[in-house]
Amino acid sequence: MQRFRIFATALLLAAPCAHADEAALQAELEALRAEVAELQAQMKQLRGEHPDAPMTAQPSASTPNASAATVASEPAASTTTLWGYGEMNYNHPTAHAADAQADLRRAVIGFSHAFDDATHVYGELEWEHAVTSAEDSGESEVEQLYVEHALAPQYGVRAGLMLVPLGLLNEHHEPTQYYGVERNFVETAIIPSTWREGGVAMYGNTDSGLSWNAGIGTGPDLGKWDPASAEGRASPLGSIHQELQLAHARDPSLFAALNWAGIPGLGVGAGLFAGKIGQGADFPGKDARLLLGEVHARWQNGPFDLSALYARGTLSDTQALNLTFLGQPTPVPKAFWGGYAQGAWRALAWNESNLSPFVRYEQFNTGAAYATQPSGFGMAALPTEKVWTAGINYYLNPNVVFKFDYQDFNRDDTALGYGDRFNLGIGYQF
Amino acid sequence: MVVRWLIPIGVGAASVAQVAHATQYLTVEQAQRAAFPEATTFESVRANFDAAAIGAPAGWTPRIWQARSGDKLLGWFFADAVIGKSEAIDYALALDASGAVSSLEILQYRESHGSEVRMAPWRKQFVGRTARDPVVLNEDIKNISGATLSCRHLTEGVQRLLKLREHALFVKPVS
Repeated sequence: MQRFRIFATALLLAAPCAHADEAALQAELEALRAEVAELQAQMKQLRGEHPDAPMTAQPSASTPNASAATVASEPAASTTTLWGYGEMNYNHPTAHAADAQADLRRAVIGFSHAFDDATHVYGELEWEHAVTSAEDSGESEVEQLYVEHALAPQYGVRAGLMLVPLGLLNEHHEPTQYYGVERNFVETAIIPSTWREGGVAMYGNTDSGLSWNAGIGTGPDLGKWDPASAEGRASPLGSIHQELQLAHARDPSLFAALNWAGIPGLGVGAGLFAGKIGQGADFPGKDARLLLGEVHARWQNGPFDLSALYARGTLSDTQALNLTFLGQPTPVPKAFWGGYAQGAWRALAWNESNLSPFVRYEQFNTGAAYATQPSGFGMAALPTEKVWTAGINYYLNPNVVFKFDYQDFNRDDTALGYGDRFNLGIGYQF
Repeated sequence: MVVRWLIPIGVGAASVAQVAHATQYLTVEQAQRAAFPEATTFESVRANFDAAAIGAPAGWTPRIWQARSGDKLLGWFFADAVIGKSEAIDYALALDASGAVSSLEILQYRESHGSEVRMAPWRKQFVGRTARDPVVLNEDIKNISGATLSCRHLTEGVQRLLKLREHALFVKPVS
């Protein structure tokens, strides 16, 4: 800017000496003035200021510098951040003490890198059950890996391996975020958390408190259904998810979610996932379609934290496939559903710690109905499982939690580990 | 000629700056004028304070202005940043002359998760609070489910600035 001032001043000084036409010179000066003003406005814009902002608003040059983590004026571009969470659980079935189990359920390292303010990559690397090798049943997996680009402050686009935006838990599954040692049954058996798919999505939110997320991507693969295993009964979609591991991707799935948080403390939302899941393979289930929907609400007011969720899924065109599974223990369901209501109360709070007892009641059925078959080959719906969970989350601080709870099942199912039990857990997040 | 040459460069740089600001809701100056529309000047000041006494990390220096209309002090304007989940949230807090919150604005939010803190109903919960009021998430300030970390860190940030206004000695910078 200094340079233009000098340039303009030089012209002004030169003016009285010039013998050129006075009026033409004046016009040129006016044009120059306009250009300089325009440039000044542009330079202000470059510095992120409003063109009309008073210059007195500038921070003093003598203000001492501080760490980038706390000062707004420091650009946050080109940063890489690490985070993580983990949980260790102990389950003790009261009627089958010999089945008591202690497990390092998961250890997760997450990272993000900001290429610039608008473009990020997010990833989560996870190890389950402590040891992964040919002889052990642990798993090592990439749980999320996607690039996100903000197109405007209110919306943007993501692409990669992303969490499906359904329910309360799937996108917020760190152990400090939920009550009870184990994740609730509805959001593991019906919504198969941690559920992720590869694809592209748009996301955004509005000033009124609506946030939305919609995308297209991979889906489950019905070709993976194992009628001999109990896995399809534990979680129909969990048994056929692909997790972007050489995923069959002939048929794209669609998903959409809408959440509203316009009243502080209250959050309500719904989500939908739909797609063909035959994935183009030539087998009796090739036309099958999945439709899964859920609605949820959470109300946090003072020491109270109440939530409820209902989810229901249907699978079409499974009749021919189930005929090939006759005599096998686990046919493909036509409908599956579940719901829960939960109340927690921060009974005691001191310093950073608190003690929060909670109670949760769930009902779910992973085989609520089966496709009609010729007379004599019909499949009876499974009985509905009903579970009461009562316990305590003890937060040493907001990021470290010790948990204890007791679960009461209305019917035992040893193949799925269902039966009255108590659980202990440790979880952390950073 | 020099001027004409520079215009295309300026325009090119401006569009780069626009991309980099795809996550910016408000500039500091826009927020200042929204908070104190009647102000004639915003005078930058420095705070002398004991970081430990107000629970602030060492080296923490938010930007501070006194909003004035002529000689009359209208209030205080702070621009600071806290970490959301993994990245900085730039925000501005305006206090009236008595030290009560008159507005909280999000200037820039870089992560997509947790950006619900931008919503007006949530930010309005802070209005009227002073350094003498408790400002604790889940007790005095309601949480947004799914944006807990952003809510908690912003709440702590506001609490810190309220204490700063209460305890610090403000001086004009030596230029």
